Amino acid sequence: MPANADSHDAMIRFRGAGVTYPNGVVGLEDVSLDIRRGEFVVIVGSSGAGKSTFLRTINGLTPLSAGSIEVAGQPVPRKQGRELRQLRARIGMVFQDFRLVRRVSVLNNVLIGRVARVAGWRSVLNLWPRADVELAFGALERVGIVDKAYTRAGQLSGGQQQRVGIARALAQEPEVILADEPVASLDPVTCHQVMEDLLRINRELGITTLVNLHFLDLARRYGQRIIGLQQGRLVFDGAGSDVTDADFQRIYGRRPEEDDFLQEARA
Amino acid sequence: MNRPAPPDRQLGLWFTIAAGLVAMTVWSGVSIGFSISELVCNAPGGSRLLRESWPPDFAFLPRLIGPFLETVQIALIGTVVGAVIAIPVAVLAARPVSPNWLTWILDRNFMNILRTLPDLFWAMLFATAVGFGPLAGALALSVFSVAVISKLFSESVEAIDLNLTEAVRASGGSWLQMIGLGALPQVWPQYAAYVLYAFELNVRGSMVLGLVGAGGIGMILETQRANFEYERVAMIILAVLVVVLLIEQFSIALRRRLT
Ligand SMILES: Nc1ncnc2c1ncn2[C@@H]1O[C@H](COP(=O)(O)OP(=O)(O)OP(=O)(O)O)[C@@H](O)[C@H]1O
Ligand SMILES: [Mg+2]
Repeated sequence: MPANADSHDAMIRFRGAGVTYPNGVVGLEDVSLDIRRGEFVVIVGSSGAGKSTFLRTINGLTPLSAGSIEVAGQPVPRKQGRELRQLRARIGMVFQDFRLVRRVSVLNNVLIGRVARVAGWRSVLNLWPRADVELAFGALERVGIVDKAYTRAGQLSGGQQQRVGIARALAQEPEVILADEPVASLDPVTCHQVMEDLLRINRELGITTLVNLHFLDLARRYGQRIIGLQQGRLVFDGAGSDVTDADFQRIYGRRPEEDDFLQEARA
Repeated sequence: MNRPAPPDRQLGLWFTIAAGLVAMTVWSGVSIGFSISELVCNAPGGSRLLRESWPPDFAFLPRLIGPFLETVQIALIGTVVGAVIAIPVAVLAARPVSPNWLTWILDRNFMNILRTLPDLFWAMLFATAVGFGPLAGALALSVFSVAVISKLFSESVEAIDLNLTEAVRASGGSWLQMIGLGALPQVWPQYAAYVLYAFELNVRGSMVLGLVGAGGIGMILETQRANFEYERVAMIILAVLVVVLLIEQFSIALRRRLT
């Protein structure tokens, strides 16, 4: 386990966090851990293990039913409202299905990352302040697709769309990025490019990054720290370089199979 | 295996329904004084009318341009005002994005009430407020457009991809931003199509309202008819036919490109 000695360093702090959905399904159970500022964390677990639930509690998209979570020392508000919006503004999110408005330009999609900093009426009427447009361009430059700024998002390839998704998160100037299976809909080559982008952004900007991953080889390669979930419980927490096949077996509750790897069967 | 017996054709039921329909039609016809014999007796009057209407008075055509413009202007104002108001009305009545249950219920009922009342009723209502004329017509058509557009548009909004609105919320967006940046951009093409459709209806509506004094071509038609100027009436009807067809074809072509 990484040392969490310096508690002032904790960017995200889970304490006995639990989620029980209205239908009675337990999505997360009694999770306690600290994530330090600037860490790059990969979360693994089989389908339904609670990876998405884990990420979505951090920005309050899924409300906690037990315990608490603090982001930068501030508890995640349980109610909708200004306070929660301001917290969300500091946390960028990247989705498996990109979630871009396909009919709208790449630039306008990235500008959605500025919603919390711009007056509602200005954003809705598309009267974005120059400084925010500048920031959106900067974010597009960082992921290398600024040339597509005026293209409709729906016309881009999957990998390009995910870069727009990352740029939208970056436009928030976030302290944390949550990426929920950001490469699950991409081909292997694009997959690595997008992971490299996320890693580079984490290093260059020091943004604390949490990534849900399906593939074990990707997790081992990119996860400086790996968190394993099984049926909503924390079952592994360690450095990516140390993780063994036995650990994976424990996380998955079974022997890793071919489907659990992106590339060839076994490395 | 045994073949199943054919289902009972329920001849008795169908006979009862048919007999009921016939009885109701006859009863209605008698009540309103509809009689075939009268129709036949009056046929000479009808044919005289037709003969007097021919040929249409083409010399009258230039004097129709102004009224036609007014008719279209009334329709246009009604459509634009109605289209703007219909946006919030439709959004608040769309279940998945409506801010709360109470707003949703109230707005839904508001929409239903608007739809129950015909445009002529609104025209009368506004006429008592602002007097008979183009303004009353435009106001009536505004309400009518809200009713038509909001109903259709609200259904489109209900069918949007809610993952996009969640993405806006995840960035810290407010309800307004979720609607304006996540929801509406998905449905603008449908909205434009509904507005065009409302415009088509409004052009026709505007003519009918003219008959009761809202101005435009309908009013000219009414005055010429009252003066027994049947050749001019024929000219007006011919022109209306052409204009309505043109506007409809134009609108249909535009709508095809949108959706
Ligand atoms: N909105 C919801 N309502 C009810 N149950 C839910 C909801 N969302 C998730 N669950 C359930 O909670 C459990 C954890 O789901 P979660 O989506 O967090 O898993 P996951 O690890 O992300 O899975 P996957 O790899 O399939 O994305 C699952 O059993 C799931 O069916
Ligand atoms: Mg998931």
